[in-house]
Amino acid sequence: MKKNGRILCVDDEPNIVRSLQWLLQREFEVHTASDGQAALALVGANDFDVVISDQRMPVMSGVELLREVRRLSPRTMRILLTGYSDMQAVVRSVNESEVFRFINKPWNISELPKIVAQAVKIARTQPAQAPIEEDGEMAAALADEASILVLDDNPGMAEAVTEAVGNGAKVAYTGNLAEAVGILNNEPISVIVSETRVGSIDATRLVRLMKSRHPEIVTIMLSDESDFETVTTLINQGQIYRFVPKPVRPGYLKLIVASALRKHVSLKQEPGLAGRHEVEATPAAVAASLVSDVQSVASQVAARNPGLAAGFLGSIGAGLRRLFGATAH
Amino acid sequence: MRFRLVRYFTVASLGVFGLVAGSLVYFEHQQGESFKQMKEEQSAFFGEVQQGFAERQDASARRDLLAIHEAGNVNLTRLFANALWSSDFQPFVARAQAIDVHQCRAMPDVPDASGRMTPPPEKKACFSEVGRQIMAIPGFAELDAKVYDAMKKSTVFKIKVFDLRGITIYSSEHAQIGEDKMTNAGWRGAALDGVAQSELTHRDTFSAFEGVVEDRDLISSYLPVLEPGSAKIVGVFEVYSDVTPFLQQIEATSAQIREVAEANQRRVEAAGVAGLAAIDEASNRQLAVVGGLLALLFVALLLIVRRADRIIVEQERDREHTHQQLTQSEKMASLGQMVAGVAHQLNTPLAFSQNNVLMVKDALQSMQYPMKVATRMSEILRDVDGDHVTLKVVRLKQNLDQLENGSVDVSMLQEMLTDVLDGINQMSELVVNLRDFTRLDRASTTRADLNKSLRTVAYIAKTVISKDIQVAEELTELPAVECNVSQLNQVFLNLINNAAQAIDGAGRIVVRTETDGNTVRVSVADTGKGIPKDVLPHIFDLYYTTKPAGEGTGLGLAIARDIVREHGGDIEVRTEVGVGTTFTVVLPACEAQTLPLAA
Ligand SMILES: Nc1ncnc2c1ncn2[C@@H]1O[C@H](COP(=O)(O)OP(=O)(O)O)[C@@H](O)[C@H]1O
Ligand SMILES: [Mg+2]
Repeated sequence: MKKNGRILCVDDEPNIVRSLQWLLQREFEVHTASDGQAALALVGANDFDVVISDQRMPVMSGVELLREVRRLSPRTMRILLTGYSDMQAVVRSVNESEVFRFINKPWNISELPKIVAQAVKIARTQPAQAPIEEDGEMAAALADEASILVLDDNPGMAEAVTEAVGNGAKVAYTGNLAEAVGILNNEPISVIVSETRVGSIDATRLVRLMKSRHPEIVTIMLSDESDFETVTTLINQGQIYRFVPKPVRPGYLKLIVASALRKHVSLKQEPGLAGRHEVEATPAAVAASLVSDVQSVASQVAARNPGLAAGFLGSIGAGLRRLFGATAH
Repeated sequence: MRFRLVRYFTVASLGVFGLVAGSLVYFEHQQGESFKQMKEEQSAFFGEVQQGFAERQDASARRDLLAIHEAGNVNLTRLFANALWSSDFQPFVARAQAIDVHQCRAMPDVPDASGRMTPPPEKKACFSEVGRQIMAIPGFAELDAKVYDAMKKSTVFKIKVFDLRGITIYSSEHAQIGEDKMTNAGWRGAALDGVAQSELTHRDTFSAFEGVVEDRDLISSYLPVLEPGSAKIVGVFEVYSDVTPFLQQIEATSAQIREVAEANQRRVEAAGVAGLAAIDEASNRQLAVVGGLLALLFVALLLIVRRADRIIVEQERDREHTHQQLTQSEKMASLGQMVAGVAHQLNTPLAFSQNNVLMVKDALQSMQYPMKVATRMSEILRDVDGDHVTLKVVRLKQNLDQLENGSVDVSMLQEMLTDVLDGINQMSELVVNLRDFTRLDRASTTRADLNKSLRTVAYIAKTVISKDIQVAEELTELPAVECNVSQLNQVFLNLINNAAQAIDGAGRIVVRTETDGNTVRVSVADTGKGIPKDVLPHIFDLYYTTKPAGEGTGLGLAIARDIVREHGGDIEVRTEVGVGTTFTVVLPACEAQTLPLAA
């Protein structure tokens, strides 16, 4: 059988590496390593399509290994495998390692080969991009008009973002999901800066769905609450660009917003790049629940402003249809 | 022993109140006594004053009497002298002068019984002889009659006349004529100094002009006799005048005064007694009031103290309760952390075992068809007698891919299952350790081998702490320790967790046991950052933590020390900043006997 894809499995637990090997060796050329140093040596010597690493290892953690892999071999897709709900690790896997998937142990033996296959395919077909430095100037990134949508209960966040970008980008702010849908429908948005919850409604669904339809939109999540599950889902289904626990320092905010804008520019210039951020399908139920939440928020807003009710509701309905292909009644 | 607030308060305050009351009574009594004494002194003084006054009054009355009588006698003598001296006495005296008294005077005086020099009887007789000679002088009888005439019916009871030698020339009492008065102070005063001298005397019997009188007060005056018309002393008169009635009157007055004084004294004394009684009553009332107030104070304080005691007991109970809750919550927190660690730890064997089992299951599934074929083949082979057999392979060919899929590497499946067994062993090891750690199935205290505990705790701890931290065990055989195993496990887990949290990056934790037979020492040493001097004194304080909120609660060491102290042991700490820290738990061993080091 022809092996399509060269992959590297790293875990300090020999049983785990063996199992992964048995599971994946039928389809892929599987290499193994039991620690970070050995893995990096292999990465230097071979051109891997995918590196799957355990997080919890002595000396070098999975996040650190994958960050190095990203630096050494940008085209290699990175998957983090972990048995621990370690919040810090998952956040770092977003911000430092930009992993393709974050997979919990025990893995699903029918899914894992598929994910690896998908990653291999992306690695082989999609162009790779060297990591975007987080120290570039804001202006350099802005070839064309960019706009940022800030979705947060606190308008102060929009002010902070406005301050961070200066006049490098337009900033649209809203504190409710319905309006966010309206904005997304009306104007091209480059970067979304969003809380995980807006008006006590889960906003990560919007982010996830937007990414699946509009891969060129770059998402930064800022959050008060740090929940392991949420971040994992945001990685796997939303391919978020950064996850930053609040409070966020203005300097850092400026840095990540600038880098997100540049990321957006590169994604737009070379749409193939976006393939590297292909998301796991968001379950249909999630889309449906989001739509109904947005509609209920919309009708609340409409009830408060009867003057614009009809037009507003109409535009939301259209927006929902356009954005998510959902049927609004 | 428990501090029994109410009892101690009652005893102490009753004691002090008793002392206060006692000293009050004592001082009141003392005051009463001194007041009484003062009163007595006062009345004694008053009495003395009264008496002195009475005496002075009496004395002055007598002095007055004397003075008056003396003046009277002086006048009388003048009259008498004027009347009798030149006509009668002068010639008589001149004659009497001639009588020689020298030989009488030459007779020496002899000391009497009391040692006083008194004239002996011969001397008295000699002077009597002189008297007889004087009385023998012619004109004596006329003179005597004239004197008697002049004096009768007067208060003058007796008259004597002395010449300037001191010899009694004349006396209305004849027996005394001739007596020598030269040494008499009265005579000397009158004869030599010309001064009248009087004295008040009492005589039981007295021979007066008109016979012998009894029980009389008399004033005797020695009076100088001056030559009429000149200041020349020519002789001395002695006049006895009767003052008995005057003196009686003076005495009556004195008695009256004394009586009044005594009555006054009695009144003063009675007033003193009454005052004393009043004071006694007042001080008793005062004592009663103070006693009542003290009792009231005691009751009020008792109520307050009782209330305070109740509050203290309640607070103590609350504190105990919160303490229990804290211990419990700490236990739950470490239990939760441990459960999370163990659950995560389980993920590894679970993941590869599940993976392998599912793969083996798939493999077995794919082997189903080839096995069927093989079984069928074996049946055919059994039934065939010859060397050849003809097979219709159309169907087999149709299912060739199934046959090919089923060509599974059986040794690989065996390896997979071996790994699964390995995984199961890991999981059961976890479960056993978990059970040993919590010891929920054991009585609260048992004799335990701490090495076994430590192995379990170290195992559990390893599930949570970073893989960059090496946990080593250096255990020596230990005597059994009577303990609550699950509590000590909590202590050891806390120490190991603290050690791990003190290590940034890679490091090493050594769990060591030692014994000297009587005590067991369990130490947890780390190569962490150490404890700065300013932190060290506080590490055992409740809620003291240097870790960020969420990571540290500050309960760990406080509770650990409580637990160890309840076991009769203690926790020691040695630390060096930048090098590491060693916490040592010292516990009393059951006895010298050691347990075999369990494998
Ligand atoms: N092994 C150790 N090394 C350095 N510091 C320690 C160690 N153990 C305890 N400490 C210090 O003692 C403090 C109190 O510890 P503890 O009572 O366990 O509470 P917590 O661990 O929740 O902070 C810690 O915050 C830390 O500063
Ligand atoms: Mg602690």
